[in-house]
Amino acid sequence: MEAVSPQSPGPEVCSFFSTRIIARRNLSSNAFELTLLKPPAFTFAPGQRVRLKHGPVCRDYSIASAPAEENIRLCIRKVKRGLLSPQLAAAPASTTLTFTGPHGYFTFKASPRPAVFVATGTGIAPFCSMAASGDFDFTLLHGVEQAEDLYYRDLFQTRAATYVGCLSEARSGSTAHHAGRVTGYIEKHLPRRACDFYLCGRQDMIRDVTLLVDEEFQGSLVYSEAFY
Amino acid sequence: MKIYTGSGDRGKTSLFSGERVPKDSERIEAYGDLDELNSVTGALIAALPRQTEDLRQELEKFQSDLFHIGAWLATSPGAPAAASLQPLDPDGADSLERCIDRIEETLPPLTGFILPGGSPAAAWAHVARTVCRRTERRVVGLSAGMADAESAAQLGRAIVYLNRLSDYFFVLARHINRLQGIEDTVWKR
Repeated sequence: MEAVSPQSPGPEVCSFFSTRIIARRNLSSNAFELTLLKPPAFTFAPGQRVRLKHGPVCRDYSIASAPAEENIRLCIRKVKRGLLSPQLAAAPASTTLTFTGPHGYFTFKASPRPAVFVATGTGIAPFCSMAASGDFDFTLLHGVEQAEDLYYRDLFQTRAATYVGCLSEARSGSTAHHAGRVTGYIEKHLPRRACDFYLCGRQDMIRDVTLLVDEEFQGSLVYSEAFY
Repeated sequence: MKIYTGSGDRGKTSLFSGERVPKDSERIEAYGDLDELNSVTGALIAALPRQTEDLRQELEKFQSDLFHIGAWLATSPGAPAAASLQPLDPDGADSLERCIDRIEETLPPLTGFILPGGSPAAAWAHVARTVCRRTERRVVGLSAGMADAESAAQLGRAIVYLNRLSDYFFVLARHINRLQGIEDTVWKR
């Protein structure tokens, strides 16, 4: 997963760190979780990113772990011709990496309005960190192609007030999840009221949900983080 | 990464604090003008004469300051998102005054109104001055009657900073013309 925030609020205070790979596990056929040693001086807020550097290449990845955890976990999509993810998918344990951070402002803001988290693919990462860090109600919609891509499902089935996997390649009625895109679920099922929407993932999802919010969820806030 | 998102195609945009607002709203106009000011400052930097590295560095510092102000303009008063913003530098205007004083010491006294212009860089400095004044007016309008004390304090600092920055651009225009051997053109009634 690679992320960038379109909403830049000014100078960030971030530092440079060295780390090494502790472990890697496959989340599905097209995504994996990378566990990195957390440098003692590194702190972050749930929803923030690190900018990972390996050789001449650097990419931003949202942190999936909670700040209190011993290590940093990143949720990474395997990009076939990507400049960094194939290397990270093949790098042995103990490989050293450098990163800067924390970056970004896609953090949870307490509010009287219900929180609706909407993710596509590895855009689920910041919500993992938020869910593991706080005690608050939220609805989570995870848009993926197939059920095997609903990684972190156990965490969200425990933590979310409502958890919905939206399978874009499922045929209607064939699974226990919503068959179709997250926007379709919102259009058909989400009660019309003012909410705080947190959108993370593909730009087309962010665009479509934002326009839907403008039309049908008056008084709502929209925070977004687009992947590229 | 694609620069376009399409989420603003129907005339609304998102504030840093999450609200969806019309693109012609007061707050968007204010940080739009601030953005214009920053761009004009960039044009001024591009037009600077040779051997003015000190001025380039000074102006780039001011460009960073403008980004910082923009963050406050893009955040609704009292919004939770304001907690992640850094307060504006309370000494920002004082710092500008020292720059103005330093430049002014080298200039002949003003004897009347001068016509904006001269060298390309000086002309850009005058454009920056006027865009800065417009931005200041927008921020004054935005801050009127603001109930949230923290946001009001930050916008208050921004107004003082912009007021001083506009004065800086005025003396800078004269300074650049002088560096390039161009005399002020005094307004003849």
